[in-house]
Amino acid sequence: MQLNNKSKPVRHSLTLATATLLGSVSAPGYGAASNDWEIDSSVLYYAEDGRVSAIEPVVRARKTIGDDEFLTFRLVVDSLTGSSANGAIATTAAQTFTKPSGDATYTTAANTTPLDPSFHDTRVAVNGEWEKPLQDNLKGIFGANLSKEYDYTSLGASATLAWDFNSRNTTFTTGLSLNLDTVKPVGGIPDGLTAMPTTTTFTKASVGDSDNKTVVDVLLGITQVIGRKTLMQFNYTYGQDDGYLTDPYKILSVVTDAGTATLAATPYLYEQRPDSRVRNAFYWKTVHQFEQDVVNFSYRYYWDDWGITSHTFDARYRYELGGGHYLMPHARYYLQDKADFYHYKLVDGDIPRYASADYRLGDLSTTTLGLKYGVELSENSEFSVRAEIMKQQSRGSGATFPDVDAMILQANYSFLF
Amino acid sequence: MAPSLHIKPGNNFWSGHFHAMASPCEVLIDTNDQALAERLACIAQNEAARIEKKFSRYRDDNIIYRINHSAGRPLEVDAETAALLDYAEHCYRISNGMFDITSGVLRRVWQFDGGDNVPQPAQVAAVQELLGWHRVDWQRPLLTLPEGFEIDLGGICKEYAVDRSAMLLAAQTDVSFLINYGGDLYASKPRRSSQGWIIGVERPGQSTRHADINQPSAAAGNFELCRGGVATSGDARRFLLKDGIRYSHILNPLTGWPVRNAPRSVTVVANTCTEAGILSTLAMLQGTEAEAFLAGQNVQHWVLRD
Repeated sequence: MQLNNKSKPVRHSLTLATATLLGSVSAPGYGAASNDWEIDSSVLYYAEDGRVSAIEPVVRARKTIGDDEFLTFRLVVDSLTGSSANGAIATTAAQTFTKPSGDATYTTAANTTPLDPSFHDTRVAVNGEWEKPLQDNLKGIFGANLSKEYDYTSLGASATLAWDFNSRNTTFTTGLSLNLDTVKPVGGIPDGLTAMPTTTTFTKASVGDSDNKTVVDVLLGITQVIGRKTLMQFNYTYGQDDGYLTDPYKILSVVTDAGTATLAATPYLYEQRPDSRVRNAFYWKTVHQFEQDVVNFSYRYYWDDWGITSHTFDARYRYELGGGHYLMPHARYYLQDKADFYHYKLVDGDIPRYASADYRLGDLSTTTLGLKYGVELSENSEFSVRAEIMKQQSRGSGATFPDVDAMILQANYSFLF
Repeated sequence: MAPSLHIKPGNNFWSGHFHAMASPCEVLIDTNDQALAERLACIAQNEAARIEKKFSRYRDDNIIYRINHSAGRPLEVDAETAALLDYAEHCYRISNGMFDITSGVLRRVWQFDGGDNVPQPAQVAAVQELLGWHRVDWQRPLLTLPEGFEIDLGGICKEYAVDRSAMLLAAQTDVSFLINYGGDLYASKPRRSSQGWIIGVERPGQSTRHADINQPSAAAGNFELCRGGVATSGDARRFLLKDGIRYSHILNPLTGWPVRNAPRSVTVVANTCTEAGILSTLAMLQGTEAEAFLAGQNVQHWVLRD
């Protein structure tokens, strides 16, 4: 060891390094600690072509409160404006609809898909989570959430347990969550499959001011380390929704005959969905690391007792540019088969028990392409931006709702202190 | 107060005694307030126990175990472990590879029990394949050890525990105290008498790793420690003797073989116990150059040779 030439600098740098070591850490429970806070902040902008746009700032703070024990708080504010399809079809003449309040109307031009322009909402959601080791190789995550917008309130709690086996190469996860939602729509809950008035003279038939739904989700999952650089996860989730599951603002057009677009005497009916839904999903994800880059691929298969089945393919590739910069291209393809009660339009005299024209329950496919750029600003902070474009297309033969194009822009800043 | 903590009155001070990190530990508080002394000794004991539990390589429920059984996978470590790894990496660099926390695997072929079981070169070469910090992927907070590698923080842990305990006590009190974990010491400030704490430095061959406080006659020499850390490297019982050659237990990670002509012991005084410990270890690794190395570091030191 040739230290003789560098003897003095050894002591000097050693003193500094020791001061850094001793100054940087504090045992839990004793005085001020460094780097036990992790803050994530982001702003997302979402815009559909000619329809809804939303701005969503999010702040998340995570604090280390013990050995492997954390408290996380998250605040989300969603501010939506714009118009959203109301479920009616375009016709050769202009159409008039009443707003949910029943106090005003709006008109859609001929040959244009009707959009309700009164879609203006702000939602605030908070959630808290407590992650704690319970025993060797067993940890628990307990959460609670509350979300509020002017016509919807949701309250929920969840508990997840994660067991490590096999020198922590295998993790078995099980979770349960429960949500209670209350919807109090403007103008009251419409009686399903009754007429939407086309003038303010008449009021819609209402079955009450508000209604509830309960949502229960159960998760079973396994995460397995396959090799030095590969990890896989398999999840099965089961969910059950009970209560008011209908969208109180959506309608269906009623035509005189199957082949025409001529509206019947009662041209619009409020939609009606079943009051229960049993959902299942199977999810598989693989993460693999190359020299420095990481690829992330997942597939999800979903099916429920409303007749909807869907496939989701998602791939991300993190490309390290060096110097703490990275690029992450993203591609996603979603394919959905419609709900049994989805109808593009209804025919007068042949009104089923359940019906909805919400295009999001129909046969559709969505393609998303995106790119994210991130950079490590310092040892304790990171900044990233991403842009995505989505194209949602109705599938199937015959008349369908038009495509919806959307874009997402998001900026994110995270830091430790 | 834990049953394993004994509080005793001394000559114008109180002391707390307990066992941790395979060593007799004591905390001397320059006060006549027994309750204060108990409280402080308890804090020190808890911190020593916490660090031992967290970094001991003999446990199967801590971060060291997880690291040493990570089978080549990346592992995210907490802030304190990350700080120690950063420090170990710094020491690796300034020592040009002689201080290496992955070198513990050499104990598989070297057992310094006073016998003559010197390993074959091929055995040493084989275990050399399983060490080398330059082959470790440390990118805070992710540590990836190649398969078969192990880290051992034993070379810094006890001194780190001394300094950490001292920090916690200093946050609680203005009184002078001396922490002594098996011969690794720290004194916070001069005592009420304006004197420092009298430390005895003993010759190897007598009782191991326990500085006799206030019993100067048993020691090779005393000195007064007003403020700072003291650490000692070396233990005469650990060696191998074969064909007339004495192999000291100070192993050079770069060769896998003992350092030639290492001193019997090196004691260093520095600002902190951790720094003193690294300097004494680095000095031992210098072999014949130990004295020259320490002379260049501007620290009070003692080097004892056969």
